[in-house]
Amino acid sequence: MDRIRYYVDVTAFQMKLAVMTMLEYPANFIGWLLSNPIQFLVGFGTLKFVVQEFGSINGWDYGQLAFLYGLAVMSHALSMLFFVQGWFMGYYVIEGEFDRFLLRPLSVLYQFFFTQFNINGLTDLIPGMIVFAYGCKAVDFSWNIRNVVSLLVILAGATLIRGGIYIMMGTLSFWTKSTNDFAGFTQEFFDKTTMYPLSMYPRAMQLLLTYLIPIGFISFYPAGELLSGMGSGGLLTMGIGVGMILLAGLFFKRGLRGYESAGH
Amino acid sequence: MNGIGTAAKRAGLKTAYGFIYKLRIEKALAYRYDVFSGIIMQCIVMFANAFFWRAIYSGYETVRGAAVSDMLTYTIISSVMAVFLATGVEQRVMKSVEQGTVATDLLKPIPLFAIYFFEELGTITASALLCGLPILVVGSIFIVVPLPADAMHALLFACSFLLSFLINWLFAALFSLLAFVTINMSPLLQIKKHVLRLLSGGIIPIWFFPQWAQNLLRALPFVYIYQLPLELYIGRLSVPDALRQMGLQLFWVLILLIVFFYVQKRTMEKILVQGG
Repeated sequence: MDRIRYYVDVTAFQMKLAVMTMLEYPANFIGWLLSNPIQFLVGFGTLKFVVQEFGSINGWDYGQLAFLYGLAVMSHALSMLFFVQGWFMGYYVIEGEFDRFLLRPLSVLYQFFFTQFNINGLTDLIPGMIVFAYGCKAVDFSWNIRNVVSLLVILAGATLIRGGIYIMMGTLSFWTKSTNDFAGFTQEFFDKTTMYPLSMYPRAMQLLLTYLIPIGFISFYPAGELLSGMGSGGLLTMGIGVGMILLAGLFFKRGLRGYESAGH
Repeated sequence: MNGIGTAAKRAGLKTAYGFIYKLRIEKALAYRYDVFSGIIMQCIVMFANAFFWRAIYSGYETVRGAAVSDMLTYTIISSVMAVFLATGVEQRVMKSVEQGTVATDLLKPIPLFAIYFFEELGTITASALLCGLPILVVGSIFIVVPLPADAMHALLFACSFLLSFLINWLFAALFSLLAFVTINMSPLLQIKKHVLRLLSGGIIPIWFFPQWAQNLLRALPFVYIYQLPLELYIGRLSVPDALRQMGLQLFWVLILLIVFFYVQKRTMEKILVQGG
């Protein structure tokens, strides 16, 4: 019990440090506070225009699309806050950053997964919430207890799915020993597959993104469940999320065994 | 004497630009991973957009005068154009201001932005071959072979694309001058990159937008970056209309050129004051 409290304390302290770092350089944060919302809102605006012109895409009208898009952006924001380090693991490996973690009396896995925060990620939450609220209004989403709980469970699960995938991709750097960062195309890929209906892609890709890489459970399937009022209430997304993060943990531990620190 | 000196100087400058150009091609070739990830990124965007158009067009033949095959061609050519229109000048200026190397760039006997322009041409030549070509091939195999409407329109496209390249670069160069006044440009660059492509018809042509948005965007120079050359490529405009539009495009090149030289002069005066 004490041990758990200790872990929670460390996480809370690191969170506080991240906020303080952000406050030290507010211009940087303000820059992202302006740019990220503009980017997503203009993106959604143009999408809405064209979908309204055609009526719907794969049976999704623009209200439902806003619901899906908003849900995807919100979990994207949370994953940027908690798990963006997965995108940059190559740098951690090359620069010998794991030395610091190894020297501390805490598990490296815990430190890497749960004490790295990127407060700038929160700036994506704003456009996500705006578009989602807009979608909720357009589809007449009812804010009853069941839906609210499902929504929170879905967001948490989706964040874990994303985090698990980011860290698994990053873990490859233990073997490749290169700083190749996946940031650009990872974001592009996740954006295109979570903000639009997955059903617009070919059958093979849908199967791939359902069974092999469970990206479909980040927003597409849960949005369908919430909109129809049926399904597991987000438990499926949560279960897959927990599974992905556990898998990422195992893979990470395996990779760390081969870690040789940096040359300097 | 003087005449010979000038000629030699001119020849020297010519080789200097050629040298900068060549150096950049070599540098771009050295970073193979960047090239590879660039191709993947553009292909993701291209495929996602192609599937988007296929899905949204189900049950429609033509919408606002464009058929689904037009939109697929539009998507592939737009992705290839994006390779040519990805500017590095902002990052370049930002870095040289941050690290102070702008001082040594200023010491070179060539105008500062001429250096940057030829560096850009070098990078683009390399990425055209390494990135543009593979994207075109992948698009042709898996989506559709993006043929131009006819030879005349292909020619108009080529001319218009040259002008859109200039508009895009001048806008980027103008933007890069902000590096002299702000500290962290990354968020601004991010907005510019995404918003520019969206508002210039790079992803969704503005003819699908509501009338008020179309009127607004047509009054800005951005539609002349992606949309006009693409419209010419798929043959949406008659030749007289095309020439009229390209006239406007040329007009925007000149306006941006004047604005750029004016703002650059003002900014440079300020640096000199700081340096003294």
